[in-house]
Amino acid sequence: MLNVFEIKSLNLYYHEKQALKNIDMIIHKHEVTAFIGPSGCGKSTLLRSFNRMNDLIDGCRMEGNIYYVGNDIYAKDFNVIDLRAIIGMVFQKANPFPMSIFDNVAYGPRCQGVKDKKILNNIVRQALEDSALYDEVKDRLREPAICLSGGQQQRLCIARAIAMSPEVLLMDEPTSALDPIATAKIEDLIAKLKEKYTIVIVTHNMQQAARISDKTAFFLLGELIEYNETEALFTHPKNPKTEDYITGRFG
Amino acid sequence: MTNRNQFVTELENLKLELIQMGDLVIANLNDGFSSFFTLDLKLAEQTIKNDKIVNATEQKIEKTCLRIIMKEQPVASDLRLITAVLKMITDLERIGDHAADISKMLIFMEKTKQIYPISSFEPMAETCNMMIKNALQSFVNEDLVKANFVIQTDDIVDDLFEKIKRTVSEAIRKGEIDADYAIYAMMVAKYLERIADHAVNISEWVIYSVTGEHVNTPDL
Repeated sequence: MLNVFEIKSLNLYYHEKQALKNIDMIIHKHEVTAFIGPSGCGKSTLLRSFNRMNDLIDGCRMEGNIYYVGNDIYAKDFNVIDLRAIIGMVFQKANPFPMSIFDNVAYGPRCQGVKDKKILNNIVRQALEDSALYDEVKDRLREPAICLSGGQQQRLCIARAIAMSPEVLLMDEPTSALDPIATAKIEDLIAKLKEKYTIVIVTHNMQQAARISDKTAFFLLGELIEYNETEALFTHPKNPKTEDYITGRFG
Repeated sequence: MTNRNQFVTELENLKLELIQMGDLVIANLNDGFSSFFTLDLKLAEQTIKNDKIVNATEQKIEKTCLRIIMKEQPVASDLRLITAVLKMITDLERIGDHAADISKMLIFMEKTKQIYPISSFEPMAETCNMMIKNALQSFVNEDLVKANFVIQTDDIVDDLFEKIKRTVSEAIRKGEIDADYAIYAMMVAKYLERIADHAVNISEWVIYSVTGEHVNTPDL
């Protein structure tokens, strides 16, 4: 099994406050890994570490290493722009650009220098198909993305990430703002996407983590408490803190 | 302090319902044994009727389990508990059936008008009774030692079954036993042996509920 991410002795601070403590973990290729834990436990912070989005946060500093397929992504000369193309991200609130559906998906490839219209059309179509959105928008690609429903906008954001031919998709509570039907569509999509991508998802919804992930990591107060096959973690967790959290004995 | 007081109460009530079903089954089983050893046909008829109450109780608990699963989406030890309860009520219901079956056999045996005393029946019945009580106790107290004790005790019942088989075979060879009576006697022995197996199953589910480990996993 190929290691996509290796995290070694990771400690992360926001100014003086330590947000992550001695994290060691491995994320495998073509798996869906779920991060669960109460608010403020560090799961989104860790997610953002994988594509160096924390670089944009004032006062954030890190100790330890994160390797992406064996390469230290915090090495001095590491190309962060390329990193963020390979590691796409989808956020809790869908954030379509103020432009057409087509232009949203084409934006990234255009930034990378793709000018040929035929190639762009193919990229956009494929990304929208892979995001299970094409059939719903194929006749209105020139319409503003903002006209889409919440669930469609989120799938558009996934298409936008996929258009960059990433290898990893990071998803930070991608369905928490969506209704159950839209949520179910995204969950179905994630099940299909893992055939092509490695997916790491932060979720507050434990049933969602149980449904869609291969492995689950439970975080508490910045520490990784337990990390295991999802079925094992949700049927007989090893750590009493995990048991207490997932059974709702504390929240 | 828990955030799920209602859920915790539901689980406590579920455990109580299972124990109550266990008490009902033990009571009916004792009536079945009693009717068999005292040749009490009226008690035998009553035991057969009471089995309907056991069956209805199983269905009630099953509904409770499904409702909890639907409402609460349990995980970890809660999920294991509910799964174990769903399995244990099936075993208890089968024990109830066998209590009624033993009573039915008594009615048939009485019609042969031939009584052939078989001494191993009484220790077999007592051991089964003890196994079921211990299995349910192990559930109440999450007592793995007691659960394992029940599993090991099954060998005693199996040995007694073999003894009865030898006794009946010998009696048939010697022409000392009515043919129909011999068949009914072997069926009673088989029901007792199956009751012990169900007590073992209950204990294995207790172990699963507490530890998450299946004791009796077959090699694939």
